[in-house]
Amino acid sequence: MVDERIIGETPAVRVATGSENHHDGRELLHEANESETSVTTAEVGSVGHIDLEPLVVATVEGKTAFFSRPSTERMETITRTLGEGTVPTDGAVAVVEHDPETARLPTPETGPLGTGVRRVLGGCGWLAPTSIEEYTDVRGERFTDRAEDDPESVRTHVMTSDLRGRGRGDASGDASVAAEWTTVYETADDPVVVVNGNEPDEHADSDRLLLESAPLLVVDVALASAVALGATDVVIYTNETEQIARERTRKAAAALDDVTDTEIPIRIITGPDEYKAGEPTMALEAIEGNHRIEARRRPPGPNEHGVDGRPTLVHTPRTFAQLGQILNGTGPVGASADPGTRLVTVVNDDTTAATVELSTDATLEAALSAVEPDSGWSGACVGGVFGGLTRSLDVPASASGLRSARLGTNGVVELLDKSTCMVALAGERATFAKEMNCGRCVPCREGSKQLVDLLHRVYDGEYKDGRLRELVRIMRTTSLCGFGRDAARPVTTAIEEFETEFTAHAKGHCPTGICNRS
Amino acid sequence: MSTDPIWERSRNDEPDVPLAENIAPGTANDPDAGATESATVTVDGQRVETETGATLLDACQAVETRGDVLALCSYDDSQKIGPRSECRTCVVETERHGVVPSCSFPPRDGMTVYTDTERASEARDVNLDLLLSNHNLLCTTCGKNGRCELQDVSIENDVIEPRYGVMHDRSELEPLDDSSPFIQIDRNKCILCNRCVEACNDVQVEGVLRMEGSAEDTRIGFQNGAETMMESTCVSCGHCATVCPTGALLEQGLVDATTLPVPGFTHKNSAEGIVDGEYDHQPTQRTPMKSELETQNEPRVNERFTTTGDDRS
Repeated sequence: MVDERIIGETPAVRVATGSENHHDGRELLHEANESETSVTTAEVGSVGHIDLEPLVVATVEGKTAFFSRPSTERMETITRTLGEGTVPTDGAVAVVEHDPETARLPTPETGPLGTGVRRVLGGCGWLAPTSIEEYTDVRGERFTDRAEDDPESVRTHVMTSDLRGRGRGDASGDASVAAEWTTVYETADDPVVVVNGNEPDEHADSDRLLLESAPLLVVDVALASAVALGATDVVIYTNETEQIARERTRKAAAALDDVTDTEIPIRIITGPDEYKAGEPTMALEAIEGNHRIEARRRPPGPNEHGVDGRPTLVHTPRTFAQLGQILNGTGPVGASADPGTRLVTVVNDDTTAATVELSTDATLEAALSAVEPDSGWSGACVGGVFGGLTRSLDVPASASGLRSARLGTNGVVELLDKSTCMVALAGERATFAKEMNCGRCVPCREGSKQLVDLLHRVYDGEYKDGRLRELVRIMRTTSLCGFGRDAARPVTTAIEEFETEFTAHAKGHCPTGICNRS
Repeated sequence: MSTDPIWERSRNDEPDVPLAENIAPGTANDPDAGATESATVTVDGQRVETETGATLLDACQAVETRGDVLALCSYDDSQKIGPRSECRTCVVETERHGVVPSCSFPPRDGMTVYTDTERASEARDVNLDLLLSNHNLLCTTCGKNGRCELQDVSIENDVIEPRYGVMHDRSELEPLDDSSPFIQIDRNKCILCNRCVEACNDVQVEGVLRMEGSAEDTRIGFQNGAETMMESTCVSCGHCATVCPTGALLEQGLVDATTLPVPGFTHKNSAEGIVDGEYDHQPTQRTPMKSELETQNEPRVNERFTTTGDDRS
């Protein structure tokens, strides 16, 4: 039987899927319900390892076995074995013993599922995503209730923390969340809290993962933030195409609204499935309903002039999840200047991807076991579509660590093997910038055009590195929003780290062979 | 008979329906620029007192600066136009915030600003050249020759040869919009400063012009979806042409005002194509002006993202 509540049930089977494998997951769940009625079943969100999913999580007492993409026949066997009171282990990718009442996904020590830590991701793939009863039981006290009882303690916790924003969609960027809160709180006029969950970057999966697998956590912290800041509106801004994330978030918001009495309306507004629309000020434009989305001039930023000109706190789901950790007071973790964890999606060769959680004082290398790259990799693009190219992942997962390595902070590590041409990759990203920008400011709109042109010329034998460096410098320092400032990063880092490839191309030779024109 | 003085019955309150309600210029809801309080700043070593509402550009213009702060797209914001801050040719370097666009950056007490650092000068140079790279630089057949702000700042900035070249390939040119008997549009000269859109919407409250498209397809278009000026709801007030810094919007009578007097050497001959030159045969020389039809792109709630065709490249 399907239950809204799954924690502590035994025997139990959870089917974990993200939107990618949702249909297959539904079939397995159906099969489990058909074949054995004494087993409690639940549809849960992705654990982050979409390539292992649908992931069947079979539990009896304090023992859990994981099965990756089983057939329906196999599913039937698993469920029947569970019905007999035994955990099936045949063909399991991992078997783990744990506290029967644990609220976190039990994971093995090694292998993909054992990669990283599970603090904000703890409930992902383990808790029923939209069950407010289960969420409340596990937490003891909801963040929103606590904020209503003592808003000042919530503010103080956040405003004295060293937490930094997570993700390009966060208005505080990589800078202090406390400063953002202080400005919103001190600006007159009723504030708005925005959950910016629109991240159309192809590989940056963290926000979607949180909204699909732990929507109650995100919405609860956002609502608590609204109470603490005296805000009168919460807006959850998602991508139009992310239907499961939106539906679960809607349910989570409705459930929270039922059990709390904040009288703060939570609206869900969708934006276009375009990379630019995740930029915080373009998110504001989409929320206001502008038919054309372009970046908004700053300063003052969204924290003073946000939705309809009201002071607005814009955080990503990732940041709200970190704020939950701060409010939990579960002890410091990570680098002192950038406490907490960072969600990182590791992409190997465009065929496997997994989102894992790293302490900010771990290095990015710690994430690699999530995808078990076998063929060896020769470089990586770190930070999403406008990430930085590097040969080494011996880089701390903190904002300052990533920044000093000139890499991006948007939580993506794309592994690149020897067949990747760095010049072609840089050109591809420059072309993306040229085609996808909002069109407002000159350094981004015209700069990206000239950047593509200068890269074309490399193939004509003209590698003007001075011109290239000058242009990317100006794009980075004078663009109006984060889109243009980040857009130059792939080219900047490609020149720094792989310059010999540029000079080789200018001589008509592509080291990987893929650019050689006939 | 009432003995109330006449002004007792006067209505000085705002109209119930804001005039701008149905206007959709396609631009962002920018905050007010300028400082919220007066300040004392240092520009190139000189002390400047600034008022509430001032920008760093005001401070730079109050003294003799060492670097030329070009500020091409900037316009007098007391006239409800700008700062758009799109051209980024006004950047200066501050000690605390690095390079910033002076046209919209608020002076804060104790701020130290330099106009002639390498980073600031380089940024202004590069951004000006980027503007020129997308501009049809046929000044000799342009009606704005000699009174063009882009030409002025290029001369001021000693531009000899723009580093990214200029737009000269005829296949890249957009046709001239010569459909209106009053105003001609040459988008090949537009720098997307948005002044015309603001003059049309925020000052004249006519709701004709808008910013449309994105990336390299960003252009000035019409709120009623028309393709040409004559099919738009233009009332030919001319404010757009008045504020245009280049030859992109010109009064028809001035189209060849500064062209060299050589036979066949005209502005129209310099363009690749012309749209609707034959307005003489139209029933009226006026555009349809205001129509009762709603604009096609009014802000709507929630269903608005279903079509993105116009804005995609």
